[in-house]
Amino acid sequence: MSRVRILGIGSPSGDDQAGWLAVEALLDIGVEASLDKLDRPGANLISLLEHAERVILIDAMQSGGPPGRIQGFDQNAWPDYTHGLSSHGFGVLDALSLAQALDYLPPRLELYGIEIASANPGEAPGTAVRAAARQLAATIAAGLAAA
Amino acid sequence: MSEQRRSVAIHVPVLARVEGEGALDLRIDNGAITELRLRIFEPPRFFEKFLEGRHYTEIPDMVARICGICPVAYQVTAAQALEELFGVELDPWARAMRRVFYCGEWIQSHSLHIHLLAAPDFFGCDNAIELARIAPDEVRRGLRIQALGNELMDLFGARSVHPVGVRIGGFHGAPSMARIRDMREKLRAALPEAEALIRWAASIQMPQDDQAFFSVAMRHQSDYAIETGDIAASDGLLIGADAFDGHFAERHEPHSTALFSHYRGQPYLVGPLARLNLNHDRLPERVGKLLAESGLVLPSRNLFHSLLARAVEILQALHEALRLLEDYRVPDSPWAPVTPRAGVAVGCTEAPRGLLWHRYEMDEEGRVINARIVPPTSQNQARIEENLRLSLLNFGLDLPDDALRLHCEKVIRNYDPCISCATHFLRLNIER
Repeated sequence: MSRVRILGIGSPSGDDQAGWLAVEALLDIGVEASLDKLDRPGANLISLLEHAERVILIDAMQSGGPPGRIQGFDQNAWPDYTHGLSSHGFGVLDALSLAQALDYLPPRLELYGIEIASANPGEAPGTAVRAAARQLAATIAAGLAAA
Repeated sequence: MSEQRRSVAIHVPVLARVEGEGALDLRIDNGAITELRLRIFEPPRFFEKFLEGRHYTEIPDMVARICGICPVAYQVTAAQALEELFGVELDPWARAMRRVFYCGEWIQSHSLHIHLLAAPDFFGCDNAIELARIAPDEVRRGLRIQALGNELMDLFGARSVHPVGVRIGGFHGAPSMARIRDMREKLRAALPEAEALIRWAASIQMPQDDQAFFSVAMRHQSDYAIETGDIAASDGLLIGADAFDGHFAERHEPHSTALFSHYRGQPYLVGPLARLNLNHDRLPERVGKLLAESGLVLPSRNLFHSLLARAVEILQALHEALRLLEDYRVPDSPWAPVTPRAGVAVGCTEAPRGLLWHRYEMDEEGRVINARIVPPTSQNQARIEENLRLSLLNFGLDLPDDALRLHCEKVIRNYDPCISCATHFLRLNIER
């Protein structure tokens, strides 16, 4: 099993599918990594961080920027995206913080946020987010190929 | 000398560390509580309406969506109610594996609540991340137990969140012997961890808060009731699921989108402590021995014992799953054939948070004419308000606002309220 794990986090609500779209694009490209699409995993995210050497986590983000903007964060600079998109009050940042406190973080953890516009249930994702997910997938795939 | 008693208004606009969104309004005037309202303001979710017109084959997957934490409870309750109406004879294998599947949900839900939601309160921590810094081994153990519960759900449900394994008549598939052997090893290895969890839970200093209330839970003639049994109350009531409406009444209160429930005109408790109060004599010897060593005297009238009750039920569920998997065989067919018939299907099970009751009126093609679902959190809602009122008087109304707020949150979290589950379709009557 690959020691690189790529996790796309989302929900079936419009642009909130950004993380899933990036994982689908990576599947199309074909990369040496295990790929998962997760729907608001809460604390279950922690068990997926264990036993991996490198985890790349992709999630939707709302920080006031233009839809489709991609931001990368390393494990010392997690973004403040605790609001709104998490399940049952235990969001991705909570899970990462708890994993850190328990010494469960992988040696390498990269986090990518794709800026989104709206996350309404049942809606399709917008074109800006679709394009950004493909672009991010291409960047990640190129980085993995070069490693 | 006249005493000037203070007046305060405390609003907790968003309750933290509960499932879903709720709020609390508390008003104290001249040293007396004049307003205390637990507001559940998640939008009504219309699930009962969504089910109307749906074919019975769709019901297990639809009701699983009601809750991300306890989908098995909804699936199994619906399936059993419909199977009884349709006269389906389940293979003993399917009956046993439904119980194992359900044990997985108890294990994961209880461990999540103990470690991530409730325990931080008793260590002066704001959240589980702070707790993990001072009790890392205990939180790690809790996450391992929770993950095992998820794995058990995944084994029969194909995934732990909104599982898809249940069908009317049994399961869609049966796990292989190799997977069961692997699971048995994991369950055996978890037993000492769960025993240590009980000892840890029993060592946590809890507030003394003695209150009188009715406990309501299912009771089985020989087993610790999970998915089968009658409905019992601490005053000796013992009725079948079909008599629920004759004894328990729901009513709407304007400040909440969840319905309030009463028994004999009073609030009542459902959930782990109610179950333990009524059914501790049904625990296996090894679990009962540890419970006795914990010093917990039953029946308990202190809701702060709920955390320990959850720990006891984790061990019980591990033992039960292991027992039922010891003689596992892959069945010829994991489901029995089903022929729908018209009528009313009623059933109940013990969800992690307490009694869950379903009623479906079905047509002759097996489609839902109407559905009614009574989840545990709405049954507990009136009891939570009563508990808060009594607990605050016991705690001391003259204490600082922050202390009162924290105490209220602790009391509410004892119930592990699942506000998302409890939000209910509200019938609207217009008079002109």
